[in-house]
Amino acid sequence: MADAAFLALTVITIGSAIAALELRSLIYGSIALMGTLGGIAGFFLLLDAPFVALFQLAVYVGSIAVLILFTVMLVKRELIFKKIEDKRRKFAGIGLMLIVMVALGAVFIDSGIKTITTDEPAVDFRDIGTDFVTYYWPALILMALILAGSVTGALVLAKREDVENDQRTS
Amino acid sequence: MSVIAPKFKLSEFIKSLLDNVFWVILLMVLIGIPAVMMVLFVIEMPVINGELLTPFLALTWLADPSRVLPIVQAFMTTDIFRVMAFPGFGFAALLAAGTIFVERKMLAKLQLRVGPFYCGKIEGILQLMGDGLKLISKEIIIPAKADKPIFWAAPVIFVAAAAAFVAFIPVAPGWVVADVDLGLLGVFAVIGFFPIITILSAWSANSKFPFIGGIRALFQMVSFEIPLILSLLGVVILTGTLNLSEIAASQSSFPWIIFLPIGAIVFFITMLAELERIPFDLPEAESEIVAGWLTELSGMMYGLVQLGTYLKLYAFAALFVVLFLGGWNGPMIVPPFPAEILTDGIVMGPITAKIPGLPLFTQEMLNGTLWFVLKTVGVIFFILLPRGVFPRIRIDLLLSLGWTKLIGLAFVNIFIALGLLYAGVLGPGGLQ
Repeated sequence: MADAAFLALTVITIGSAIAALELRSLIYGSIALMGTLGGIAGFFLLLDAPFVALFQLAVYVGSIAVLILFTVMLVKRELIFKKIEDKRRKFAGIGLMLIVMVALGAVFIDSGIKTITTDEPAVDFRDIGTDFVTYYWPALILMALILAGSVTGALVLAKREDVENDQRTS
Repeated sequence: MSVIAPKFKLSEFIKSLLDNVFWVILLMVLIGIPAVMMVLFVIEMPVINGELLTPFLALTWLADPSRVLPIVQAFMTTDIFRVMAFPGFGFAALLAAGTIFVERKMLAKLQLRVGPFYCGKIEGILQLMGDGLKLISKEIIIPAKADKPIFWAAPVIFVAAAAAFVAFIPVAPGWVVADVDLGLLGVFAVIGFFPIITILSAWSANSKFPFIGGIRALFQMVSFEIPLILSLLGVVILTGTLNLSEIAASQSSFPWIIFLPIGAIVFFITMLAELERIPFDLPEAESEIVAGWLTELSGMMYGLVQLGTYLKLYAFAALFVVLFLGGWNGPMIVPPFPAEILTDGIVMGPITAKIPGLPLFTQEMLNGTLWFVLKTVGVIFFILLPRGVFPRIRIDLLLSLGWTKLIGLAFVNIFIALGLLYAGVLGPGGLQ
């Protein structure tokens, strides 16, 4: 059963990833990208990590895909893309992808992934929280600082200078 | 002389009736009954009165009334019943339909109008049915330059997402469609789908007004999702769980609104914005942009979107009840099932009727459902009420409200919850 689900998810994820790259319509491309991200959420579900899977759905499909859709709808395609396309570029791209995939696969297989036990129970999200505030607290602080920095940066960027003060809302 | 059927002959009429009866019986014997039997052999049958209900016995409830209630009872424990009827779609759609009628009538009374009046003689109670028939029978018009696949799919996906939201809501102890450990996170994930569906539907119509409405909906929903999620974290901190049934059960002595009133207020305001209701109805502002992102939808597509909207309204009100108002908890006011009916049967003079299979519902379930429905209807009333009172808010005020004030208040709420937790007053290590 899990194998059938795994195969179906693999087909959905890789198929929609290829579709996201190859489709001419940018809107359909971003919908296909949503399919890819949802498929990855399905993989997390199969790996007994429903917490990560639901956050993947809420954050990536719910927010980031919306931002991509929004950008695509408001931008004229012809203005940002110059179509340079020939056989050599295509084959070079495929070759590069194969090299990267083989390298990553070699790293994964070499990393001892075959010897881990797979019938462990799912990790409780409370344990994740406890670990974050005890052993991994420097990572949590670092993430918080990065997030705060990026939010502040976004606010600075979004502040418009050309609006007069009396046009602002109180 | 004008008659409806000038060449009417009684004998031919009877012959045509008999013809139809013949074909119905023939098709039923040749196709219907074998198909039912094949389905019955596949699904798992319950044990009724101590014997397994085989497919051969499946239709005997027609002849033996004492089998009816046990079969109904066995059906009520199946997943199909849960999804289609009671805590799931049917129950929610019933409440949603009631909401539509009450909204129209109440709004009319608030504005000194009469509202639906003629349809159904008594205060227009059949208006909803008439509207439904009208929507079903209307032609569906697709704009010529619309993106057809997305345009067709969007209303259906909208209703599906709303139904998925409904599936997480626990109505009574043990009565929930999807009792998952991370229910609240699942709710957040489902809420995240609504802006996508809205903007895709708006874009695919290829028309000005839907697109403006869709972009407004996107702004509004995405910016109010963050205070929505933050305002619920206080409850999660105090209960130590994300399971909605456990959150509802944790409020047996007091509802969380007593300790987290700020969170409840923030959640209520964000709820109004997510539901696109006045004063936050910018995406459908009918006095500015026709009907917003619904402009090009016609016929039953519009009906589906309306159904989804009201299912969503029910689900948000129910979520408010589960998280802040104590869910199904309340004083036991439903009387217990009379025990002598179980032992002696119903005695009517000389006749004694023994009915196996009673009681259909337990006392806790009826009481819980009653309190849940009462509270939910109350919250829905407060969601409907601003529509009679407030004007529409401006979009820059809306965004500044969402991004500055509500997020700040949500953080205040989280600090209150943390204070209660660390002071040892409440929470997993406290009073509970």
